[in-house]
Amino acid sequence: MSKHYFNGIYAFAAFLVISAFAFKVIQPIQVLPRMRLSPAYNFIDQDNQPLTSETLRGQFALYSFTYTHCPEPCYNMTETIREIQARLGEVDLGGIPVSFVTISIDPDRDTPEVLRAYGESIDADFDHWKFATTTNKDLLKTVVGAGFETYYEDKGGGNITFDPGYVLVDGWGIIRSEYRYTTEVSDADRILRHLGVLAEEVRNSTGSSKLAYEAAHLFLCYAP
Amino acid sequence: MRLKVFLSVIVVVLGLAAGFYFFRPHTFHGTVIQSPERSFDFTLTGAQGDVSPSDFRGKIVLLYFGYTFCPDICPGTLGNVAQALRDMGAKADEVQLIMVSLDPERDTPEKLAEYMKHFHPSFIGVTGSKEQLDEVASLYGIFYQKTEGSSATGYLIDHTATLLVLDREGFLKMVFPFGVTAKEIADDLKYMLRQ
Repeated sequence: MSKHYFNGIYAFAAFLVISAFAFKVIQPIQVLPRMRLSPAYNFIDQDNQPLTSETLRGQFALYSFTYTHCPEPCYNMTETIREIQARLGEVDLGGIPVSFVTISIDPDRDTPEVLRAYGESIDADFDHWKFATTTNKDLLKTVVGAGFETYYEDKGGGNITFDPGYVLVDGWGIIRSEYRYTTEVSDADRILRHLGVLAEEVRNSTGSSKLAYEAAHLFLCYAP
Repeated sequence: MRLKVFLSVIVVVLGLAAGFYFFRPHTFHGTVIQSPERSFDFTLTGAQGDVSPSDFRGKIVLLYFGYTFCPDICPGTLGNVAQALRDMGAKADEVQLIMVSLDPERDTPEKLAEYMKHFHPSFIGVTGSKEQLDEVASLYGIFYQKTEGSSATGYLIDHTATLLVLDREGFLKMVFPFGVTAKEIADDLKYMLRQ
């Protein structure tokens, strides 16, 4: 009797291990990691209106960083954002809004009026794409440099060196993915796929399906 | 014979179901963060001097951002944490709550100490300059701004009302939403302390 009993325990333990291994290998559910908290801020947008981190709660937000005097050829990030905006219909977002926020790292020259003119020059839809900054340079450095971990440095003479990229934040204010700018792989394809993964997780964030998604986080089943 | 097979299948199925129930993973009541980096460490001023989250390595640190004039949200959350710690008994010694005041104009370290002890004797309140608080709050995802209040309360401060949990090593482990109950806090903290 005791032999059968222990055999049963061993079989059950093996079943659990094999199940966990299969979950990890097959990855029936994929998620994006919850990397860290997105920094909080209170900036001014292109219409001279406050734009805060709280405003974007409940939405997905794709942040990018630049300055309007970036000498040509500057990183072609606006094209990627426009492409994502145009192709959002391909993703089942379940009604969750997506906002695009371009933060200027040059508050001396990028006043709200300049940011608005810049947005108009690239046909930005201001309802969903905000351009913002703050004259509080210490806070700007905290938010962009430390919070979004995006390097930039004023080199003098109007030149600013920066590390271009995008940061994807979920509706809970958590950074879920970072994309360092590259010309080799389509950032738009990857970001659109990730928006779909996030929306799927939100749809399954309650009840028993939440357990499966938490298991996907636990087993690091991350979407490529 | 068939009956034996049938009963065996039933026993196995019930065993598996019971096993899954008893060994199911703990479901946290907050959002779990998987940060590979330690959370931002800061030094602010409490009634007994400088305080940093890293002073409490080896304990779970709960970080809350509020202010002593806060009419309802802060007392509610602090009261729930205090109740959770009382429910945890001796295990509560392994948890340290720090409230960062977002009201440097009115909240002195002494006033904070007086306020915090009403909730729990171990609670610590800290403050600093506006610039320090801007940095700390931003990096912990806490938005705050002054708003008009009544003549009785003076100005108010709107702020993100989450409760942050740093593990024993100083990694941000979890974010509790506003409204989390004392029991939910105690359940998650007890589970974390067992890890």
